Amino acid sequence: MSDDSATIAPTRLDSESGRWVRQLRAGHPRHDETVAELRELLVRVAVHELGRRRLQLGSIAGPEFDDLAQQAADDALISIIAKLDGFRGLSRFTTWAYKFVIFEVSGKVARHAWQRHPPSAEELSWERLPDAMAPRPGDRAEQREQLDALADGIAALSERQREVFVAIALNDVPIDVLAVQLHSNRNAIYKNLFDARRRLRAHLAAAGHPVTEQDAPRG
Amino acid sequence: MSEHRPDLDKLLAATDGDAGCTAGEGVLDAYVELELAGKNPAHVYPGTAIHLRACPGCRADHDGLLEAARRFGGRAR
Repeated sequence: MSDDSATIAPTRLDSESGRWVRQLRAGHPRHDETVAELRELLVRVAVHELGRRRLQLGSIAGPEFDDLAQQAADDALISIIAKLDGFRGLSRFTTWAYKFVIFEVSGKVARHAWQRHPPSAEELSWERLPDAMAPRPGDRAEQREQLDALADGIAALSERQREVFVAIALNDVPIDVLAVQLHSNRNAIYKNLFDARRRLRAHLAAAGHPVTEQDAPRG
Repeated sequence: MSEHRPDLDKLLAATDGDAGCTAGEGVLDAYVELELAGKNPAHVYPGTAIHLRACPGCRADHDGLLEAARRFGGRAR
């Protein structure tokens, strides 16, 4: 995998971003009110983002929902203040700051979703292709052979790759929920998924059934 | 039984040059800022563009950040 961030140089801050950074530094006369203003913005972003991810939150509402938003904003604020020197001006300050609260919401929603509905054994285990993927009577012979080869390829993955691929790709388990379940993190789980997909593509190609862009969804 | 079979090409999406989650997280704000300016961020951050097509977690974060930056902006008093 390649790193896009490695070659990007810092840029000069726009005036508004510069004002945020200056006023957030300890000792600035407007420090406290600027922190309060930023926190207010972060809470608004957190509430909005929690609303956007409401499907994963189930019935959570009222004070519990508000608490989650406040916690996400507070945790993001701590990270922002601690990393203020790391702001390179590649975006407006507020966009950079919102990133932290989005990540906090993402993590908190995943933990909440995992507590509410941890992945079942069936969603993590591999016995056969799920119904949506299984060969059907009307399939062309090469489609059936491709799906059979896919099933063989999944069976040949490492245990962790298979677990991750089956959960995320075949059973739609959210990647962050799976990360909580497996005591891991998103990046490590994604690496497992990426490697599994590469191996499956190679397996299908070696079996004479390469996956191409023509393998479009069928109704 | 579902009538729709998932697209194998998407199911097995694994493209060379994928920046991964950690690298993408570092530049997500800059990526979004380019989008807000009407530019194509894939020209500057090709690995992140590839990654966002394949990683559902990072894509959700990206979508949330883009929406938040559009909706809330923010000016210091």
